[in-house]
Amino acid sequence: MSIDLLIDRTGSLSPDDSKTHLRFPFRLDRECANLHIEFDYSPKLLEDEERARELLDAAFELYVEPARRAAARANAERYLPLANLVTVSVDDPNRYRGACHRQDPMQRLHLSAVEASPGLLPGRIEEGEWTLTLSVHAIVTESCSYRLKAWATGEDNE
Amino acid sequence: MRWLACELHTHTLHSDGKQTLRELADGAAKLGFECIALTDHNTMSGLADKDAVERETGLVILPGMEWTTFHGHMVTIGASEFADWRLAEPGNLREGTAAVRRRGGLAGLAHPFRIGSPACTGCFWEFEIRDWSDLDYIEVWSTTFAAIKEDNRRAFELWTSRLNAGDRIAATSGRDWHEQKETDDPLSVTYLGLADESAPLQEEALRALREGRVAVTIGPLLTLTVVEEGDNGAVYALGSEVPLASGAGARQPLKACADLRASVREGLWELHPQSGRLVLTSNKGDLLELSVHLAEGDSRHSFPFDREGLLWIRAELWGVVRGVHARIAFTNAIYFERGDGR
Ligand SMILES: [Zn+2]
Ligand SMILES: [Zn+2]
Repeated sequence: MSIDLLIDRTGSLSPDDSKTHLRFPFRLDRECANLHIEFDYSPKLLEDEERARELLDAAFELYVEPARRAAARANAERYLPLANLVTVSVDDPNRYRGACHRQDPMQRLHLSAVEASPGLLPGRIEEGEWTLTLSVHAIVTESCSYRLKAWATGEDNE
Repeated sequence: MRWLACELHTHTLHSDGKQTLRELADGAAKLGFECIALTDHNTMSGLADKDAVERETGLVILPGMEWTTFHGHMVTIGASEFADWRLAEPGNLREGTAAVRRRGGLAGLAHPFRIGSPACTGCFWEFEIRDWSDLDYIEVWSTTFAAIKEDNRRAFELWTSRLNAGDRIAATSGRDWHEQKETDDPLSVTYLGLADESAPLQEEALRALREGRVAVTIGPLLTLTVVEEGDNGAVYALGSEVPLASGAGARQPLKACADLRASVREGLWELHPQSGRLVLTSNKGDLLELSVHLAEGDSRHSFPFDREGLLWIRAELWGVVRGVHARIAFTNAIYFERGDGR
């Protein structure tokens, strides 16, 4: 069985990367049977509770009416621990193949003609320009490292 | 008119829900819903089972997707294909909603005042809205026991302020339902009024939402019509516009008819027996109110009113829910044509 390694990238995200998309285009030289994606990021949680409460205070300033802020602060517990959230979406040469919007910081994803991981659409793994997109919804830790890996296996007629 | 009991905001395993579409549909049917919209975050892959689950459960499933962006969550319902949520920026929302509409869909603000990042990423609505006609509805009641929640109060006030400014926009509820978990909280139902009962349900449900034939409740179904007095007086449904003059050219006296149906979803909701307050409200404030007995059959209440200075009216039902004085039900608006050509 042949394996085509398509992407193997590591990197580090900071709070400034929040609300941005990182695009990872790659070229698939031949039609394959399977596309595999591994995406991990760490840490998931902000363990420093004092820092978490500061961040929440800033959010309450923005999103809660002044008269209700004290009550929001008193109930801040319900939002703890704060978490980083990065999600993956997939585009094949012709169309959007879905997104995996969930909290899991270790994603093992798979696409083929007949099945796909939840959030993704089954369909041919066609030759051409593909893109994986990491959507950085929020980074609350000082830094957050990630690894994104994608590879294709199998001939299209397998 | 048939009123279809709908849950318009749901998630499955295809995003961060903890349920399959089948489990969701079974749960919805058990609660007396006839229709759900599947609005997974940023994907429509959960709809692969739609036809099979519709057949197996008898439920209508509307295709949808919750645009889960950095600047707000936007529920979209009815689009035949994907529109790219990743292009959304605070200043270009109009392009996004136009793309959704080109694909046959409708777009609404989801839980617009839920506390945003990092408590709930992107949950607070921060998109700039230059023209409210770019949007079809506001989810004014989110989650369970919605009427008493602070963020929903702000959403409801936002809706009222837009109506007062002359915008015409629908209001809905949505549980933002992620898992099958028992709750004692009152559940909201959005009823969509099907004008043409012979047309396919999915199309008619979408048309009802687009046109504002919408009523929201935690129990009895409250609807409203405006009726011209006299023989063969015209009847105006929720979401429609009462013209300045009737066909004959003369301005007829009007009455508002509120229908209260306690027989809906029988046994699936509970309010302790009490006198509730049925209110006809408008851009000029409350016009009329009367006391009605709750949880007792179906009843119709008519109020003559003067349209002078009115942009819109709606009906609301207030009472005591779990010891709290709260809105139990509200209709969407009926609008009035204005002399200044607006
Ligand atoms: Zn949301
Ligand atoms: Zn949601």
